[in-house]
Amino acid sequence: MTNTEPTNGAARPMVTLEGVDKYFGSFQALRDINLSVARQEVVVVLGPSGSGKSTLIRCVNRLEHHDRGRITVDGIELSNDVKAIRQVRRLTGMVFQQFNLFPHLTVLDNITLAPRQVRRMPRHEAEELAMQLLERVKIPEQARKYPGQLSGGQQQRVAIARSLATEPHVMMFDEPTSALDPEMIKEVLDVMQELARSGMTMICVTHEMGFAREVASRVVFMDEGEIVEIGSPEHFFTDPAEERTKRFMEQIL
Amino acid sequence: MTTAGPSPDRPATGAGRAAPPRPTAAAWARENLFNNRHNSVLTVLLGAGLVVLVIYGARFLFVTGQWEPVRTNLTLLMMGTFPREEQWRIVVQVYLLCASVGLLWGGLTASSRDRARDAGVPFSRARLRDGVRRWWPVFVLLAVLLGMTRTWLPLAFVASALALGVAARRVMEALPEAGRRAAWFGAGVCALAGWQVLSGTGGIAWWWGSALVAAAVVRLTRNVRTDARWQPLARLTLVAGAVAVVWAVYAQLDFGGVGWDDWSGFQLNLVAAAASIVLAFPVGLLAAVGRRSQLPAVRWLSVGYIEVIRGVPLITLLFMGDLFLGFFLPTEDPLSKVTRAIAVMTLFTGAYLAEIVRGGLQAVPRGQVEAAQAIGLSAPRVLSLIVLPQALRAVIPALVGQFINLFKDSTLLSIIALTEILRIRESIHGQREFLIVGIAETLVFVAFAFWALAFTMSRESQRLERRLGVGER
Repeated sequence: MTNTEPTNGAARPMVTLEGVDKYFGSFQALRDINLSVARQEVVVVLGPSGSGKSTLIRCVNRLEHHDRGRITVDGIELSNDVKAIRQVRRLTGMVFQQFNLFPHLTVLDNITLAPRQVRRMPRHEAEELAMQLLERVKIPEQARKYPGQLSGGQQQRVAIARSLATEPHVMMFDEPTSALDPEMIKEVLDVMQELARSGMTMICVTHEMGFAREVASRVVFMDEGEIVEIGSPEHFFTDPAEERTKRFMEQIL
Repeated sequence: MTTAGPSPDRPATGAGRAAPPRPTAAAWARENLFNNRHNSVLTVLLGAGLVVLVIYGARFLFVTGQWEPVRTNLTLLMMGTFPREEQWRIVVQVYLLCASVGLLWGGLTASSRDRARDAGVPFSRARLRDGVRRWWPVFVLLAVLLGMTRTWLPLAFVASALALGVAARRVMEALPEAGRRAAWFGAGVCALAGWQVLSGTGGIAWWWGSALVAAAVVRLTRNVRTDARWQPLARLTLVAGAVAVVWAVYAQLDFGGVGWDDWSGFQLNLVAAAASIVLAFPVGLLAAVGRRSQLPAVRWLSVGYIEVIRGVPLITLLFMGDLFLGFFLPTEDPLSKVTRAIAVMTLFTGAYLAEIVRGGLQAVPRGQVEAAQAIGLSAPRVLSLIVLPQALRAVIPALVGQFINLFKDSTLLSIIALTEILRIRESIHGQREFLIVGIAETLVFVAFAFWALAFTMSRESQRLERRLGVGER
């Protein structure tokens, strides 16, 4: 129980998980997870399917509630307190495997929704912000279209812009390229890489080893709901310590 | 809906081969009607049947049919026992309603035009011709009604009301965006004023007027932004004050008017159906959302309401409403018969709508809710901005089907002795000269009046469905 009182912002980790357990019925999805993500750090979470990677990051913005342990985001602890949950969701952005854009709204409205509704920004300001974000993900010309008119890669980039519109302190990616055709993966990874370079704190669940190797500050390997190993990408790709990690890396590479 | 001609941006495929030419009528018939012996026999038989049917139908409509009972009692069928010296109220109301609808129509056209312009998509404005083609059953009904009248006045009235609606649409389309916003309120005011002139200042008009003023105040103060904590309170006070003014003014006013207790004929069918549709929609929405609520009390209440109502026949409910709904209400003067009937129809339809909407809610993927939560939307906003728009869009055909049912079920009001159109038709054959004259003809007329409107509703819902691209995005 260390980080209870707010210290100066820069030293405090952005996200901490301490002894987190999570059950789905009687199935234990997370076992005693301990992880601390520092500011501007890019953490890549690897692991076989069903290992609890997605559940882990979904607990951080409370799309799932954890059953034991402590989770804090930028010093705010997650509990059943609705206010705290909304505050945390404001500080975190999330990008989903299936994009989950709102199909009944234009690209522009998808992005301005949160600024206008949550931050009460006037329409023209919100649209200016949205256009800047669309420039950043390199598709400003698609602003007035509906998500259904875009390719998968474009949709995922819009989803990233939508998350950035709340000006989050930490971005979480849940297999952002797994639903994409191969030729579109790069355009999304490029945007993510640019985001990492700009100093955004990121937690990425992904199978893109190239991305992990180049961009990650640390790699977390999970299996059966546990964190098996945490280390630098260098360490992971050359000389993993644990047997389970070795086996997984052999299968993937 | 233009036929797709050869477009320059879609080059012909297949080495410049042209599309196959449209087959001639004879070729088409050979291909589809007489392509083998069985089909030929079927075609001849069914064709003969069709011809006989058309001949008999035409003979009934134009030769043997005794339309005198309908012709003589046209006014009675349409507005029943509505006091004749107050008919001008209906005229004024229709004019105001046309203006209101015209403004709404123009507003919708203009905003979809602007959206299309922003998106860089070509936009073709629906013209009056398209309107006539889409609404042809209604126009046929109007033509039949006008054809049966003996004076020119009704024709002049209908034509001028239509012209007013079209003009209002034009004006709305020509307005800049800021002006249009004000004109939306104008549409509401027109509709309210029409209602007041017709039925007097009382009952619904109070609530309607209050809602309109409250909406106006909220809208006008929306862009006033301070960080002061009293701001919501100040706004609330403003709204309450404005509503209080409306009520104070209404208390002083007395336009006279004919309340809906004194309405009858087709007018009663229309009003009862329209009122129930408008009221049942929020009821159904609440019950559907309530049924999925996390709170057990809310959930049980919704389930109880839905399942009790759906298990009881409408006729039974109407009788119950007629006989003892008044006992449960703590008012001195019991609600009028018409009001109680509308309340029952609202509750009845609400339960069915709830189940339809629930189906729509279930069709919205879980990821939509998660994405909305993840960007920090509060639960009510997730529901109103993300889930409901998608859910309702998915169930438009079923919703409209339910509305059509309700409209037709308004004839059941006759069994609790309300003089809607079917009851009026019965009373016509109590008149000495029509005791056994034109019994089929009056029924056919009533059937046609319902069909014309119900069919148009159905067509419009299909069109709406196409336009919103259900099943595409």
